[in-house]
Amino acid sequence: MEREGFKIRMKRGPIFSGSSVVEEHVISEAGQVTQLPVAQPSQTLAPTPPPVPAAPAAVISAENTKEIKAPMVGTFYRAPAPDAPPYVDIGAQVNEDTVVCIIEAMKVMNEIKAEIKGTIVQVLVENGKPVEFGQPLFRVRPA
Amino acid sequence: MFEKILIANRGEIAVRIIRACKELNIKTVAVYSEADVNSMHVQLADEAICIGPGPSTESYLKIERIISAAEITDVDAIHPGYGFLSENPHFADVCESCNIRFIGPSSRAMNALENKAVSRALAKKVGVPTPPGSEGIVETQEEALMTAKRIGYPVLIKAVAGGGGRGMRVAHNDISLMKGYVAARTEAEKSFGNSGVYIEKFIENSHHIEFQILGDNRGNIIHLGERDCSIQRRNQKVIEETPSPLIEYKFKDLRKKMGKAAIRLAEAAHYTNAGTVEFLVDEKGNFYFLEVNKRIQVEHPITEEVTGIDLVQQQILIAMGEPLRISQGNVQFRGHAIECRINAEDPFDDFRPCPSRIEMYYPPGGRGIRLDSHIYSGYSVPPYYDSMIGKLIAYGKDRREAIDRMSRALGEFILTGIKTTIPFEQAIMQDPNFRRGVYSTNFIDQLLGGARREMIEDLA
Repeated sequence: MEREGFKIRMKRGPIFSGSSVVEEHVISEAGQVTQLPVAQPSQTLAPTPPPVPAAPAAVISAENTKEIKAPMVGTFYRAPAPDAPPYVDIGAQVNEDTVVCIIEAMKVMNEIKAEIKGTIVQVLVENGKPVEFGQPLFRVRPA
Repeated sequence: MFEKILIANRGEIAVRIIRACKELNIKTVAVYSEADVNSMHVQLADEAICIGPGPSTESYLKIERIISAAEITDVDAIHPGYGFLSENPHFADVCESCNIRFIGPSSRAMNALENKAVSRALAKKVGVPTPPGSEGIVETQEEALMTAKRIGYPVLIKAVAGGGGRGMRVAHNDISLMKGYVAARTEAEKSFGNSGVYIEKFIENSHHIEFQILGDNRGNIIHLGERDCSIQRRNQKVIEETPSPLIEYKFKDLRKKMGKAAIRLAEAAHYTNAGTVEFLVDEKGNFYFLEVNKRIQVEHPITEEVTGIDLVQQQILIAMGEPLRISQGNVQFRGHAIECRINAEDPFDDFRPCPSRIEMYYPPGGRGIRLDSHIYSGYSVPPYYDSMIGKLIAYGKDRREAIDRMSRALGEFILTGIKTTIPFEQAIMQDPNFRRGVYSTNFIDQLLGGARREMIEDLA
């Protein structure tokens, strides 16, 4: 966008800062940069995922629970396809071989197994969000 | 202009690259292993992605995780630093096929200089002198013996896929050659995944002198002068300086000759981005091509100080498709720069690596002092990676001033809780032969033999 004497550049908001603010830089004629924060709806990186039940607001006791962690870097998906039901939900019983989610990396959909026997008590990542190695994905109460 | 770059490295070079990006107003993404969660490059980058546990093979060398990290943060380019994946043509290809620019030479150039034997053959083809040696890979012990007979002992058995000073053995006679040949092939297979070896004449009292080159994507290549890296311990560089005292005091015309040879070879390989052409120079001023390092190098800061050119920024600009805005005639050399690699090693215990927690850290400062490092008070040096914790660079209007400044800086550098090579480097700064600029690649061996050891302990 350009106006008389000013130039405005739109930038993507940073993913991991948790903010949904897109920064704008206004460069004045004198060449000074002033920042004007502008509230905008945050942009999703992946194709818009269908609504999935969010993690319940109730406090989950961390006692006697173990985490399923991401074994790779990529994008976290709760279901095998955009219109399919999620692999697991809160209360689901899993064993070592149960597929709990997909992490997409370089266009390959990798099925992630629970590798633990128990009950899902919390989903820790929102559908469609990027995850790093070792990031906790689910909390499980071991059987 | 790139908007965002991922740095596929760690430690001091990751900090260096992040600094270059910040000055160019480019956003940065750091990748890190679980062992590096408290590392400075993670703190300085705009975003950071964990890519695996401590060991490099599980993290910094995991191509798919690095590319994944690049995709989810939507970067324009990846800077590979040095070591790790920086000279891996497969990695460069994967980046390009994922529409991510690789900041370094094209895979075509990397393949033209794919290993030491191939590079040697290319050098010969374009009339760049190489050490007398085998035509290519030596397949049998008999061939090794015949080569040695032709060129004369002592000889060096070198792994074709070796690099960074590794994979070389000297043989002084037929018996040591036969034994060494077999051992070298086994070691090469284990260390580099390629058992190929070739043979070169071992040049005694040699000087390791390398030339920095920069090439854009349109075929323009320039050199930015030499770096003398003869001060090595077990083929690992300890101290580097520019200009080379050998060239400056004895063979002044070598700079032009060797610079031209370096460019000729780079052109033959269609080289792009930053690289270094390594040579050995003997006491008579004959120079011989060794290999090309197809990446930014550890010791690049000394070239930056005497030329005023930011090499990492140049790498980024070239990768963006910018033509080189510096011509060979515009390159100016001013003053003298020396670098000391500061390693977490105990010089009094055979340089045993000492990864530990740094208690107190007071870095040197003042005029003409630059410190490229990622460490801080309270930082625990992880055991998984090489022991270099920083590079201390001193610049002066001449060699004498640079040495005096380096000596002052080493003296005020405080690091407790950890053993470092600082006292060792201080001893070198005080050494009369070093100060006269008279040294070759056997300098440290001589320094560490016998009577000189007291000098090091005194200065500790």
